[in-house]
Amino acid sequence: MTAQEQETIFRRWLEQHAGIMWKVVRGCTGVPQDQEDLFQDVLLQVWSSIPAFRGEAKETTWIYRVAFNTALAWRRGERRRRERHETFLKFDLSPQSQPGHTDSLEAQEMVERLYAAIRQLQKVDASLALMHLDGRTYQEMAEVLGISENYIGVKLNRIRRQLADQLKGATHEL
Amino acid sequence: MNFEEMQIMWQSPEANAKVTIDADVLLKEIRRNQQYFKAVIFRRDALEVGTSVVMTAGFLVWGWFWHWWSLYLLALACLVVGTFFVVDRRRQRGKGPVNNDSLHACIAASLGHVQHQIWLLKNIFWWYLLPPSIGLAAVTAQLVWSVRGAGPAIMIVLGSVLTVIFSGTYWFVYRINQRAVRSELEPRRQELEELLTSLK
Repeated sequence: MTAQEQETIFRRWLEQHAGIMWKVVRGCTGVPQDQEDLFQDVLLQVWSSIPAFRGEAKETTWIYRVAFNTALAWRRGERRRRERHETFLKFDLSPQSQPGHTDSLEAQEMVERLYAAIRQLQKVDASLALMHLDGRTYQEMAEVLGISENYIGVKLNRIRRQLADQLKGATHEL
Repeated sequence: MNFEEMQIMWQSPEANAKVTIDADVLLKEIRRNQQYFKAVIFRRDALEVGTSVVMTAGFLVWGWFWHWWSLYLLALACLVVGTFFVVDRRRQRGKGPVNNDSLHACIAASLGHVQHQIWLLKNIFWWYLLPPSIGLAAVTAQLVWSVRGAGPAIMIVLGSVLTVIFSGTYWFVYRINQRAVRSELEPRRQELEELLTSLK
C-alpha cells in the first residue's frame, strides 16, 4: 500500500467513522485533557493499522477493534512524551445553534449521564455497551471482542440492568 | 424511556457534541509522532546494544594493554548480556499485541508480553547481574593480587571496598527492578487477567 493510498483511506475513515472513535474515547475517560490525549492515540493507531487492512473485516469492526484495544492499553495520567504542536480538534458543544435547542440540551445531558454510567462498567462491558447503543449487530460485537454471539446476548442483558440501576430516575424499563 | 429510545437519542447528532477534525493538521501531527516513536525505539535499541558493544570492546582493549585476563572475562560477560538482549528482543518480536486483533486476542497477547517482562525482571540476577559479576569478581581478585607488595592489610581493605561497592550497586539494581515488578507489572497482569476472565 502506498502512502497516498493510506492517506486516502484515513481521510475517508475520519470523515465516516470519527464518531465511533470519539465515542470509544468518551466511554473510557471523562477528563477533557485525557480525552484529547487518548483520541490522538486512537487516531495514530488507526492510521498505523491501515496497511494491514485487507477488507476481510468491515471497516467499522476494524476501527472498533483498534479503538478498544488502544483504550484498554491506555493508562490514565500516562502522558506520552510527545509534543503537540497544533490543535486538530474543534468541539461544538452548543446546542443553542440548533432548532429546538431545549430538547437538544436535554438529550445532551442524558447522553452525558449515559457516558458516566458506561465509564462505571467493567472495561469489556463498557465496550459492549457502546457498540450496543450504536446499534451494532451481535455478529459484529462478537467479531470485535472475539467471543460467541450467545455470550454477547447474556452479557448485554446484564449490562442493560447495570445501566438501568445507574440511571435510575432518568429512565426506566431499560 | 426504554432502551430503544435511548439508542435513538444516543445516535442522534443533536445529543452529541460536534467534533471537527482538521485532517491536514492531524496527518502532520501523526507523521511527526511516528517519526518521534521510531526515533525513541531506535535510541533505546542503540543504547542497549551500543553500550554492550562499547563495553565489550573497551574491556578487550584494556585487557590487551594491561595483559589482564580478568578483563577479557568481563568483556565476555558484557557480550553475553548484549546478546541476550538482542535474542530476547527478536524472539518476542511478533508475539506482542496487534491492535486490529479481537479484544480477546489482543488482551491475551498483552498478558503474554507482561508475563514475559515479569519473568525477565524476576530473573534479572541470572541473565543481567551474574555474568558481569563473575568478571568483576575476577577483576577484583586480580587487582587485589596486583597490590600484594603493599601488604595483606591493603589487599584486604581494597578487596573489601570494591566488594562493598559492587554488592551495593547490584543490590540497588536488583531492588529497583523487583519494585517495578510489584508496583507496575503485577497490577497490570492482574488487570489483564481480570479482563480476560470477563471475556470467558
